[in-house]
Amino acid sequence: MSAPRGSARTAPAAAADAWRLPPAWVLLVAVLLIACAEVGGASMVQFKLELSRWARGQMLARPDVHGLVGVRDVDEPVLDEALTKFDAGLRLFHLHGEGMGTVIVVAAMVTTTLVEAPALRRAILLLVTVGGAVYPVGYLVWSALIPYQGLARSRAIAEWAVWIPFGGAAIAAMWLLTAALALRLLRRRPAGAVP
Amino acid sequence: MTRRLAAALGVAVLLAGPPAPAHHVGAWSPRDNEVSANFKQLKFSLQAGKLDVARRLYVEGALRRELLARRAALPPGLDTAIRRALETCDVGAAEGGLMVFVAALARDLAREAERQLADPADPPAARLATGRRFLEAVWRYYNLIDFAVTQRDARAATTVRLAFDEAEGIVRGPARGTSPAPPAALEPAAAVARLGAVFRRVAEVLDGLVARAAPGATG
Repeated sequence: MSAPRGSARTAPAAAADAWRLPPAWVLLVAVLLIACAEVGGASMVQFKLELSRWARGQMLARPDVHGLVGVRDVDEPVLDEALTKFDAGLRLFHLHGEGMGTVIVVAAMVTTTLVEAPALRRAILLLVTVGGAVYPVGYLVWSALIPYQGLARSRAIAEWAVWIPFGGAAIAAMWLLTAALALRLLRRRPAGAVP
Repeated sequence: MTRRLAAALGVAVLLAGPPAPAHHVGAWSPRDNEVSANFKQLKFSLQAGKLDVARRLYVEGALRRELLARRAALPPGLDTAIRRALETCDVGAAEGGLMVFVAALARDLAREAERQLADPADPPAARLATGRRFLEAVWRYYNLIDFAVTQRDARAATTVRLAFDEAEGIVRGPARGTSPAPPAALEPAAAVARLGAVFRRVAEVLDGLVARAAPGATG
């Protein structure tokens, strides 16, 4: 039985080009995030009515927070907007949780395989995992705060406590990864090569 | 060269500017309540000449329920006049009756807005926010009948629209390049006072319109 032509050359090359697994904790965080997003989506559908009733009750108990004036024609649109955004927050958590979980897995795999500098690799992994995993939780925080803090204040809290720091971390990680990959390409090009 | 490139890329990432504050959080636009939805159904049925449909929509609809609930504050015989108009296929009279009812709804909201704006229990900034919500609510009703009002009483329609423009300027600031003096520069207390006056004017004009257009009114 003869070996396929070129197998002696392709086997080591294939081993060198193989994708490497990211650290287990990164994968655990990503899969956990996707699982939470799935549970969130299922709960959102299953308990939609209960959640809406609860949020409406909490808002009616806090007329000053929501600027309710006791006139149906004025208050109903205010409550409707808040309930719509409350629901949107849950939906966006579901969507971003699934999306960012996948982004973490892919970005971590690319980082582990192609970023050579250990410190940079660790930094990118940490930023993309923590930033990507916590960013979607901001939507959950926003949604949960709407009945208690009103639309504008709840959004400001979620923005400054979660979206900006953790979303910023994920964005920074992606740019660092982009820069690292660009550098890798530049270094591999032979001197004097014509692009 | 590569170190410089790396440094440049790093600096570019760090100085890329503050994170965008406008995270996607979904859009919302006000929906019709059951009265305004019923009004639109009635209006489209009348415009299409489907008087039997309009009659059923009126008799069984939320608009009539609200009309009967507010009977005391409405011109006497309004319900009877609208039903008679629908039965006799008098589209103009039916539209006029519906217009009177919606104008009365907007008038009552404007009166309530003026009352709440004058309440000193809340700080002026909070009252201004309340005024903005009332303004949107009054406009949602008036907007339904603006065309009908313009056809019947152009002067009243113009006065109301000008009042809404002024109120918009008070609660949101003037449009760029408008004159006279920008109302946004007003202190909240002064803005509340002006907004209250605007609501009073709207209520007076709509009250006059309701009185003139009511069934049995002369002129």
